[in-house]
Amino acid sequence: MGAVHARSLDPLPMRGPELGVHADDVDAPDVEQDPKQEVLENKNVVVQKVHIDGLGKTKEDCLTYEIAEVFRAKDLIDVMKRSHEARQRLLRLGIFRKVEVVIDTSQGVDALPNGLDVTFEVTELRRMTGSYNTMVGNNEGSMVLGLKLPNTFGRAEKLTFQFSYGTKETSYGLSFFKPQAGNFERNVSVNLYKVTGQFPWSSLRETDRGISTEISFPVWKTNHTLKWEGVWRELGCLARTASFAVREESGHSLKSSLSHAMVIDTRNSSILPRKGGLLKVHQELAGYTGGDARFLKEDFEIQLNRSLFWDSVLSASLWGGLLLPIGDQPTSIADRFYLGGPTSVRGFSMYSMGPQSKGDYLGGEAYCAGGLHLYTPLPFRPGKGGFGDLFRTHFFLNAGNLCNLNYGEGPQAHLKKLAECIRWSYGAGILLRLGNIARLELNYCIPMGVQSGDKICDGVQFGAGIRFL
Amino acid sequence: MSLAAEAFVSQIAAAEPWPENATLYQPLKDDQILLSDCASSLAVQTYLRMCGLPVQVACKANAEYMSPSGKVPFVHVGNHVVSELGPIVQFTKAKGHSLSDGLDDVQRAEMKAYMELVHNMLLTAELYVQWCDDSTATEISRPRYSSPYSWPLNHILAYQKQWDVRRKMKAIGWGGKTLEQVYEDVSQCCQALSQRLGTQPYFFNKHPTELDALVFGHLFTILTTQLTSSELAERIRRCSNLLAFCKHIEHTYFKDKST
Repeated sequence: MGAVHARSLDPLPMRGPELGVHADDVDAPDVEQDPKQEVLENKNVVVQKVHIDGLGKTKEDCLTYEIAEVFRAKDLIDVMKRSHEARQRLLRLGIFRKVEVVIDTSQGVDALPNGLDVTFEVTELRRMTGSYNTMVGNNEGSMVLGLKLPNTFGRAEKLTFQFSYGTKETSYGLSFFKPQAGNFERNVSVNLYKVTGQFPWSSLRETDRGISTEISFPVWKTNHTLKWEGVWRELGCLARTASFAVREESGHSLKSSLSHAMVIDTRNSSILPRKGGLLKVHQELAGYTGGDARFLKEDFEIQLNRSLFWDSVLSASLWGGLLLPIGDQPTSIADRFYLGGPTSVRGFSMYSMGPQSKGDYLGGEAYCAGGLHLYTPLPFRPGKGGFGDLFRTHFFLNAGNLCNLNYGEGPQAHLKKLAECIRWSYGAGILLRLGNIARLELNYCIPMGVQSGDKICDGVQFGAGIRFL
Repeated sequence: MSLAAEAFVSQIAAAEPWPENATLYQPLKDDQILLSDCASSLAVQTYLRMCGLPVQVACKANAEYMSPSGKVPFVHVGNHVVSELGPIVQFTKAKGHSLSDGLDDVQRAEMKAYMELVHNMLLTAELYVQWCDDSTATEISRPRYSSPYSWPLNHILAYQKQWDVRRKMKAIGWGGKTLEQVYEDVSQCCQALSQRLGTQPYFFNKHPTELDALVFGHLFTILTTQLTSSELAERIRRCSNLLAFCKHIEHTYFKDKST
């Protein structure tokens, strides 16, 4: 009997809403000159058995959800479609290196004449994988050790540990991730970490030690994340010359916050998308579950993309945020918003606009920023279809403002305050896409609407990041 | 900061007069400050009063972390932040205020030696009683030290501090000492100071120096602070001329204030 192989059709799918199966992707079965072929294709079939071969530590019960749909197939095309779907679901669990599907007619005593057996031949990932990197940058060298246990308890749980030992700072993170069986988008994760950040624009050093738990689940077209985070934050001055305003913020604080994030992402790619939009709304309430930081923080991000003529894309984005202190305690420098730099309002130095004290930027309690981009392929399209496609040219117009609000004045006055003294900039540049996670930009920027105290970067500015205005 | 930059800063410091809004920062007076910090803070305040330099006292829960050296008290004068008595004395000297200018080299060396003695004996003994005596640490030091913080940070920070001080004590050889031995050291230190003072009003006769400020800061704080045991204060009370010295300085420099 003609066994049909659906071999590794796609690479591992990226996260995104377009995880659905494309029936076109399925290879057409090798049509052998077999008289029974035609009969099978049109006849109703029954999937009698589904095997998963090659399981070691993986528990079968969590996989049954992923392959259950295969039993519902009515004809051969359907069997192949559903098997392909199941294969994608298995790969998405991140516990198999390879999954192959074999469809064959049923054998054995209880085999029906129109019965089929589907076999998934899987290769599991190793029990433990490790990595070792050395990083050099910013006057600091560090070595990073990573340890990953995919499929820790056999049900697609993931345990990751990362330890970074640097000449200046040591940081670590331990995270445990568990998806709900049969519903990978619904998952729980627990993180334990210590991170140290140095923020030269504020002359500030921050060490965070924290624990967080989060639950993610999809609702209709949106993705929600509920999170509780408890962080012990230690702030200090980066240098003796730090301004007194930053010095006054030094010391320890404890933040315990509940936050909720909602994301709708219909873009075809998170870096340089051609179509679709993104809406992200995030809110955080700190102080009601303990700790001494008390505030309500709201922020949002909108991005819309539209393909135009000649492969060019028009993209518009809008960011905004508000931080409301609760009680009479002022907000901390670590919680406030920062704006400016090659990833937000270009033409300004990194996070160097808004309230400041002797050259140290203190951040603001409200901000808004907008950007308009026209992305086009490189002129004359060198390296088309290959390396050249990683590059784009873009023309941009950015605007933004960051300030503190006086909450006695009411919302009208707030909007007015945000609308006056808007900083903006325009320019053009080249950008390079790095995989599907990051991008590099080299821009020529002309900053406008500069306020006293802002640090500008007039001319060529280089930027790297994962999130861009 | 490079040496050249530091020299430049001290040049600048000399050029500026002492401002009216100079501020001294210390931990919260009622709920948080501990004996040793209170003594150091009082010593600096006394020194500045002896110099006739006005200073406002600000109590901040995070004073220890605001200080560039991690120790309290510190003063914020113009654009400068200077912590601890020694550097503050240097800083006022750069501005043309000094109490030890009238001393000759021998006296100055003697003054430095006695100041070291107070640092090494009285301050260390205060730290020992606060953090190494279990009943004092449990009943007074840890609850007070951690009072501005919420759970569980209060416990973490208090034990971290205790551990740091105990490690320091071990490093300087005080780890194995008993409370009785520490009291004995304090007695000896007081006797040495008492002998040097004799019947003079100040350690160097008629004029106060930074040594007087330092000794007053520590002795007065020990005498007026309630601990689990009054033994430390008792040891000082045995030297009657030191008691008179404290009363005299309090009367001369703090009579407008009911400290």
